[in-house]
Amino acid sequence: MKRLQPQRWSSSVLSPQVRAGCRLQRRIQHGLRYQTTTTPFPVTEAEAKQPIQDLVPPPKKRSSRSAISKHSLPSPPVKAARESAKLAALHARLYLPARLPLETLARTLVDESADPNPDFNNESLATLGHDLLTQYTSEYLICTYPRLPMTVIFAAMYAYVGPKTLSAMVKEWGVELAVAPGGEVDPGHLQFKRLDPGVNPNQPLKNPNRPYENEATWRRSISSKIVYDDVFGEPVRASVDPRQQVQSADRYAAGVTPEQACSQFVRAVLGAIYLHAGRPAAKRFFEQHFISRHLNISDLFNFREPARDLSRLCARENFEPPYAKILSETGRLSRHPVFVVGIFSGKDKLGEGSGSSLLEARSRAAVASLKGWYLYSPLNVRLPNSMEEEGAAPWKPVHVDLGEVIV
Amino acid sequence: MASTFVTVKRPFLTLPFLLPSSCEVLSLTPRRSQSSYRRTKQRLRVKPDASFGSFSSHVEREHIIHNPPSSAPSVYHTPAKFLPSDDIRRSLCTDSSIAHEDPAALTPLNESPGPKRYHLNPSDVLEIRRLRTSDPMTWSRSKLAKRFDCSPLFISMVCGASPEKKEMQKQVLEAVQSRWGTKRRMAREDRKLRKESWGRDC
Amino acid sequence: MTVQGIRTVTSARNGVGAFILQCKRLDFHYCDWAGSSRGMVSFLKHHLPSFAKANPQIEIRVSPRPHKHPVIKGHYVNGREKAICVRNLEPEQIFNKANLLKAASGEKLKRTKKPIASLNESVRGIWDPYHGGFKSV
Repeated sequence: MKRLQPQRWSSSVLSPQVRAGCRLQRRIQHGLRYQTTTTPFPVTEAEAKQPIQDLVPPPKKRSSRSAISKHSLPSPPVKAARESAKLAALHARLYLPARLPLETLARTLVDESADPNPDFNNESLATLGHDLLTQYTSEYLICTYPRLPMTVIFAAMYAYVGPKTLSAMVKEWGVELAVAPGGEVDPGHLQFKRLDPGVNPNQPLKNPNRPYENEATWRRSISSKIVYDDVFGEPVRASVDPRQQVQSADRYAAGVTPEQACSQFVRAVLGAIYLHAGRPAAKRFFEQHFISRHLNISDLFNFREPARDLSRLCARENFEPPYAKILSETGRLSRHPVFVVGIFSGKDKLGEGSGSSLLEARSRAAVASLKGWYLYSPLNVRLPNSMEEEGAAPWKPVHVDLGEVIV
Repeated sequence: MASTFVTVKRPFLTLPFLLPSSCEVLSLTPRRSQSSYRRTKQRLRVKPDASFGSFSSHVEREHIIHNPPSSAPSVYHTPAKFLPSDDIRRSLCTDSSIAHEDPAALTPLNESPGPKRYHLNPSDVLEIRRLRTSDPMTWSRSKLAKRFDCSPLFISMVCGASPEKKEMQKQVLEAVQSRWGTKRRMAREDRKLRKESWGRDC
Repeated sequence: MTVQGIRTVTSARNGVGAFILQCKRLDFHYCDWAGSSRGMVSFLKHHLPSFAKANPQIEIRVSPRPHKHPVIKGHYVNGREKAICVRNLEPEQIFNKANLLKAASGEKLKRTKKPIASLNESVRGIWDPYHGGFKSV
């Protein structure tokens, strides 16, 4: 244990108070807690004239009236965005286009739960960004892997633009979360009202648009999920009627989880880029930050009865019925045998798998064959959003076939 | 070299490269002589793989060398049968230059059930239902399958078991499972989990 | 339902697509009185503006730390921080130290044994004895 040194400790704490005129300076310094790139108070007159101070206007100019009114605001004032070093650093770190002003970036960091006023929170930007994100991602998935089953598309959408991924991205971007929202907070922090402890954030949502919503035990088909649920196959809130604006204001009175706030922020950034810098910049941002992330699509499958599905597939596509053959084996009578089984249709091999029993190897081979069917990817994939550019080549329809095996 | 004398159990005549030259025996200093270097080089001179083709005949002809790695194939390589007809890879994969293994020469997994026969008519189905509902203890699925020469799966597709029979089977199963100890129960549960992981490929 | 989807999260590959500089903040502490801060004060007066302009991704804080040696502290995206004491150093040496903190990833220093780390599967797959011509094992 380190020994306490009272003398040094007291001097480091007390010495600033000994300075003349320190109280005023400390107050200014207090207001400037997060605003940097300047020395909090000039120490000597010679230093005060140095270029360090020239970067940012000295803090003395701000009137005390505005400092008081800041505390009454739910989110930082608009003009605070220009003075925040954190915000400027975030703008540069993400290589955001210069046409996107800092004020808009500051607005994307204010969640609806922090400031219910739609003119100052990121809700509208996030709605636009969410639509863009889901459109670009689903286009990419469906054109690249045209045969993916719907459940896997839901899972892949969740992996690319789901709330967990978006909140991980916020952490990787180096955005800090404010403890509580308020007008005095540095606009470079993500501001939202935190959920009170003891509140369950995963309460089941009810969509009144959906028929038989109250039948809890009924099975929800994939087709009904496509129609009524969101892009991840999860139940969605009913869209808010603008006439019931009062009701939506206290929608988030209880607060939100950090995950929800982070995902709203990322969506709002994309929406802001789209609004200020246009479609190509938004697409570039999407490609650089979302599609470039690593995902192995073949890990998203979970088959219940692969052999049955494969025989249904072969019957539907008019292939010969599949049969299994042993390609190679070792140690059949030992404790650890290995069988390699291939599944053939006619003379063509569809897939192969290995396992410690013949049944396991056959099942894995059927899984591999089904994945071979589902993970077909055409050559030279062109996304529909490429048609939005000027002078694009005429559109050739993407590959479409029956795709999913329905039993 | 002295250590190899001790460890080698096989007769030297079958492994002539282990025989040291006479000078090494005399000097007893392990050093790499020129003859062993030449022999090593000779051993490394292997013939190219058969898939590369005979170079004398096909020197001028352009062809694809298909030499797959000795690993399980990736699921991202769509088999030729699953490629749509307008895909260019279809013609490449079915190229005659690539040797395919003949499935007829391989061992089958189990005896194939043969082509579907559809030999039961509606009156047989009614008979199956009558037997199974009248005396469920005697006429089990396997017995019915044997009598009507079809699979037990077909019997269960045609008619289900009566609720009393199901209840009885459940009690029998519970009685059996109540005698299981911890080890057996855990082993059974593990087996079930392993079986579920087959479909996940992990 | 024949096939189910398994929910996962995509993993980041910094530099594939976008590159995020891992150093997010640099704190410069100096003392006006002590001689060990002479180089630091000169660095802050003459070199820091150009350094800050060259690295807009980094938030820079300058604050006095009386009766202490001058220190540069780097704060990183992964939540760690690194501090370098720059007492009695010349401004050029301090500039090098600031660049060192800027270029660091924030992780603890460790020896890298492999030249490349990749999430992608190997093209040739994992070798096993049951493929590639060894039909009778």
